[in-house]
Amino acid sequence: MFGYLQPCKDEMKIKEYRLYKSVYCGLCRSLSREYGLISSLTLSYDCTVLAMLYIAVNDEKYCVKKGRCTVNPLKKCPVCESGGDAFRFAGAVSVIMTYYKLKDTMLDSGFFKKTAAVILRLIFRRNYKKAAKAFPEIDRLTDEMMQKQTAAEKNNAGIDPAADPTAVLIKQLCSMILPGKDHRMEVFGYYVGRWIYLMDAADDFEKDIRRGSFNPFLPKHDGDLKNTMSYCEEVLNMTAAQMILSYELLDIYCFKDILDNIIYEGLSYQQKKCTENKMNGKSKHRHDDPDI
Amino acid sequence: MNDPYRILGISPDATDDEVKKAYRALAKKYHPDRYQNSPLAQEASEKMKEVNAAYEEILRMRKNGEKASYQSSYSGTYSSSSRYSDVRIMINNGRFEDAEDKLSSIPPSERTAEWYYLMAIISYHKGWLEEAYNYASAACRLDPTDSEYSSFFNRVRRQRSGDFGTGYSTQGTAGCCDGGCCEMLSCMLCSDCLCRSCCN
Repeated sequence: MFGYLQPCKDEMKIKEYRLYKSVYCGLCRSLSREYGLISSLTLSYDCTVLAMLYIAVNDEKYCVKKGRCTVNPLKKCPVCESGGDAFRFAGAVSVIMTYYKLKDTMLDSGFFKKTAAVILRLIFRRNYKKAAKAFPEIDRLTDEMMQKQTAAEKNNAGIDPAADPTAVLIKQLCSMILPGKDHRMEVFGYYVGRWIYLMDAADDFEKDIRRGSFNPFLPKHDGDLKNTMSYCEEVLNMTAAQMILSYELLDIYCFKDILDNIIYEGLSYQQKKCTENKMNGKSKHRHDDPDI
Repeated sequence: MNDPYRILGISPDATDDEVKKAYRALAKKYHPDRYQNSPLAQEASEKMKEVNAAYEEILRMRKNGEKASYQSSYSGTYSSSSRYSDVRIMINNGRFEDAEDKLSSIPPSERTAEWYYLMAIISYHKGWLEEAYNYASAACRLDPTDSEYSSFFNRVRRQRSGDFGTGYSTQGTAGCCDGGCCEMLSCMLCSDCLCRSCCN
């Protein structure tokens, strides 16, 4: 995934921020325990949210312990541990999706990126195999999604069909989180996936134009980036509105303040950051706050 | 979640005013208007029932004699005088794929405003929001006088402009409904349009 699902830190209380960070560190720790230190490289904000959602809708028991950072043992940090499968699930999603994304990069990038992807893929191969064995369903769904995505891009699909594969994947992951085919979770997942895909498309818009790659917003582009970006914002707003409607029907047992922040503040904050940066001529915003 | 206080998200020590406030906020949140034509309309109405029941239960337990219960008047029925009444029945029964097949079989030359509106509803339900938006806009272009089409289109347009109509805006982010009169109106009359006109 891409790291767009994040809380808006400025609007958080310190205790919420600490708890959020402890989930992030908890996922990192779980990843390195299950798949070795190297796999903590796959850690992302999206999977942190996935772990949090898992705990929140299942009312899983969790505790926050004092610990040390796995990557930098000199740093102390609170670490969240759950009594259930949340971190194992989110970790497997992280490893499997990264592996498939590297495959994608390998097929359509420049020489240097391609070489890096090949090497990384070799390194992650064993971890991927392990994750896929533990969660074959995630592996199957991701594989299916990648194939549908490639087909949609070949057909030069419009916005809705282009976003559909990612949306369906997250929908299915969400219905795995809460057993018993909960319709609310499925609809929520669909819009989360749709939003993430469209955010990524808006964020990559200029890069895709330069390279001549597929981008679902391209047919709407009249040459003026400002117009296209405000169009992107409209499309994202409508998706976010649907996400909010479905989110409000979920039974959230914990982490409610943090999840509320992500949904009510985080989404529009990320949108603005992406579209406004582009209108002001700055590119990529994704890596500008790694200080969590 | 059967504890009525937990459903309203308040503690049993809450004052009567707090109970009422929590109830109103939730009634606004799960309001049928917000979920009209949404794939989650059913779930929203269940939540609404749950909230209503919890509120009544608390009122009963407190025996304050206040019987200000909220009646949801929404019933997703459509007028039967339409040309596409069979398609509307399919939509009402949740048979969206059948409805879409039926509509697709109608040749482009015979497609009316209603055709575009119904396609918009089906796309909206599927989560294909751009198609929903385009169909709804076409429906309004073809028949600008119909209130059913324009109310759907306006709601979609508000969402696109970033107005999510959430009850969350305690810090005043959404800007609407600061006054008590608005809160009451939106609670009782199901109408965000009234609420808007009163605030603007």
